[in-house]
Amino acid sequence: MSLRADSHTGPRVGEKVERFEVEKAWLVDPASGREGPGEIVVSGGLLESVVWLEGKDALGVTDAGVVVAPGFLDLHAHFREPGFEDAETVATGSAAAAHGGYTSVALMPNTEPAVDEPGVLERIRSAARSNGSPVEIFAYGAVSVDRAGEQLSAMGELADAGVLGYSDDGAPVRTSKLLRSALLYAGMLGLPVVDHAEDTAMTAGAEAAEGYVASVMGLAGWPEAAEVNAVSRDLAVFADALRDEPRARLHLTHVSTAAGLDLVRRAKAAGLPVTCDVTPHHMAFTDEWIAGARRWSWEALGADGKPRDPWADGALVAAPYNTALRVNPPLRDPTDAAACLAALLDGTADAVATDHAPHTVVDKEVEFGRAANGISGIETALGVLLALVDAGKLPLARAVAALTSGPAGVAGNWPGAAATPAARSRGLVEGASADLVVFDRADRWLVTEGALRSKGKNSPLLGRELSGRVLLTIAGGRLAYEDPDPDRT
Amino acid sequence: MTAQAEAASAADVKTGGAAPGAVWHHRHLLDLDVVSWPEIELIMRTTDEMKGILARPIRKVPALNGRRVTTLFYEASTRTRVSFETAARNLSADVVSVSTATSSVTKGESLVDTVRTLEALGAEILVMRHSVSGAPYLAADVFGGHVLNGGDGWHAHPTQALLDLYTMRQHLPGGDLHGRKVAIVGDILHSRVARSNVWSLTAAGADLWLCGPATLLRGMDRWAVAWSGGAIPGRGRFHVTSDVNEALRDADVVMALRIQRERMQGGLLPSLREYATRFGLNAERVALARPEAIVMHPGPMNEGVEIAPDVATSGRAVITEQVTNGVAVRMALLYLLAGSHDPAHAGEAGR
Repeated sequence: MSLRADSHTGPRVGEKVERFEVEKAWLVDPASGREGPGEIVVSGGLLESVVWLEGKDALGVTDAGVVVAPGFLDLHAHFREPGFEDAETVATGSAAAAHGGYTSVALMPNTEPAVDEPGVLERIRSAARSNGSPVEIFAYGAVSVDRAGEQLSAMGELADAGVLGYSDDGAPVRTSKLLRSALLYAGMLGLPVVDHAEDTAMTAGAEAAEGYVASVMGLAGWPEAAEVNAVSRDLAVFADALRDEPRARLHLTHVSTAAGLDLVRRAKAAGLPVTCDVTPHHMAFTDEWIAGARRWSWEALGADGKPRDPWADGALVAAPYNTALRVNPPLRDPTDAAACLAALLDGTADAVATDHAPHTVVDKEVEFGRAANGISGIETALGVLLALVDAGKLPLARAVAALTSGPAGVAGNWPGAAATPAARSRGLVEGASADLVVFDRADRWLVTEGALRSKGKNSPLLGRELSGRVLLTIAGGRLAYEDPDPDRT
Repeated sequence: MTAQAEAASAADVKTGGAAPGAVWHHRHLLDLDVVSWPEIELIMRTTDEMKGILARPIRKVPALNGRRVTTLFYEASTRTRVSFETAARNLSADVVSVSTATSSVTKGESLVDTVRTLEALGAEILVMRHSVSGAPYLAADVFGGHVLNGGDGWHAHPTQALLDLYTMRQHLPGGDLHGRKVAIVGDILHSRVARSNVWSLTAAGADLWLCGPATLLRGMDRWAVAWSGGAIPGRGRFHVTSDVNEALRDADVVMALRIQRERMQGGLLPSLREYATRFGLNAERVALARPEAIVMHPGPMNEGVEIAPDVATSGRAVITEQVTNGVAVRMALLYLLAGSHDPAHAGEAGR
């Protein structure tokens, strides 16, 4: 394969990609469900041709090398602007997204001030327009004023201004009553409510998933029931709201328990138009990482299907209480991680979302129980999914779909969004604006603070190698990211 | 030796492994999970020597002369702090005492900044008490010297568990806990004393029973189940129960843990009275234990709640011995930590 964009004369970030070709790569096109050897040509910012290679032309091209896929869409990220620009900005977040292969990102409204009226949305839009990155920024509005759970935000005005939906993420929509109103009102506008399912009465002061690891480490337990309760509430209220407003839509984000996912599975089987996402970290990391283990979740399951004991088998290799692992919902045990993967495989989970949550050192270099919740993950999502692929747990095409057509399909159910990301990220479509990522599964990269474009260095993967170095990201026909190593092409 | 020269991190300690011999090589003592049985026996032997010092007319040796021990207590504590400071002074260390009520901590200074400041001021051994589990690991990560955990959150209180072990060995024939039944009754869930005792007592081969109301045991059964197969080398299974009679029957050691009033506000207990009625160590319950059984309490006691006054003052109670032994155990640990990575100081205990 060769990248014909000469980095010395080629476009800079933000500029239109006039000419770019990839020869003899592995193409993955979720739109057609096809994957295999092929070539693409980008011309004048458009995906001019997609050629599938057959016979001897395809010889030697495997899915273990360079892969071309549609640009990724993240349904859940925090870029912290306005209000917490020391943790992330729209500019640094966009750069991080492009480094991770993302071309579209939907931002949560828990900024300061919260996105509860159009003025705040306009500030984010303005930052997105002016930072030079072609990564497309979508934003959710808050469900409630100041996310306080009391009164509906300026939902209609926010819809007119182009929000993608509504969420009080960081916290659940506080009451069932408010959730019902929000689902009805948002449904009227053709938009979803995206809920963070947590029964906060059960989790006050909680530090880690209740279980063996939390017990040994003296960490306040976060009961599984806190998620199951909230998922159950949300589904019941949604079913109720749908009877009055058939366009009401509910999306549950970062569902992390086997039991919570099973409720979603049963609701979908019963015909409820609910969607949900799971995160890379809940699929791949587990609570034993807090004790100092660093093996993937699937390596932490014994042959009997039960979690292995990190204190018994020498798995503890890092310092305990690393605050990069403090996250909400908490990392859970390997059976829950396996359930997240199973949900993705059987369609219960529609998408993978990163919940990219950058934090400053000030908020993370503190006692574990006082650390801010969140993992900086938008740059490592692909690598984590490829670890699943490498381990034979997830087919490559499914991993790509979970980052592209999966989330695009979810957003496609939200007809009221003025400009939905559904048009992007669905597939490799000839004649459309080029929106794609090129990564090399054979090329590993070391996750370091310097390698992360995000201001948030709160990644539990620091010091670890991931496969699938991103070589190039093109968003909307414009260059979003190019690997800086000139020898690589 | 300059403590600052040591470049090891908390991670090294965590994976330090256990030397079969009697050489102390841990830079910090944060929890007993990484301390092997031979190392525990080394601590016990060193404590014996410290007890010898405490029996002298002048209880002071120059072992840590000129070394700087700083106590940093983020939680109110009288006995643990005084015990550490007494231990340090008995070894002729210079003691600096930082309490959060009078320090920059009340101005919002972070733990990391506080620890760096104390190091810049010359602290070599940091004795730390903190209300958040794991806080000493953060301190150890940035501190150039030695960190000695004086209790962190619900997680660990290693010196308490070691003084408990020392006291039990003094009273059991041959100093051997193998097969001896130890019952710890109280608020297990929130107890760092209970957790550290799980590591030390299962390593000692004791038949350990943790007992309390179901609301104050939550999650601990999962730990017991995980260890029920005897998977961890050098550690043993233990029992978790809400049946106080079963826990106490034929016990060789009975230990009560403090019940805190916050548990009522948290909806975990109906009342202190009900706790005292159903779980309090009274004479009738203690009679279920073996006739020669000892009664322990890490203090401070709520007499009339978790332990009846007549039990606390009976001939079986060894609670003041625990306090005395605490000084000796802490002397031993300060001595061992100060000499770790320093062959010149090895084997000088008690001379």
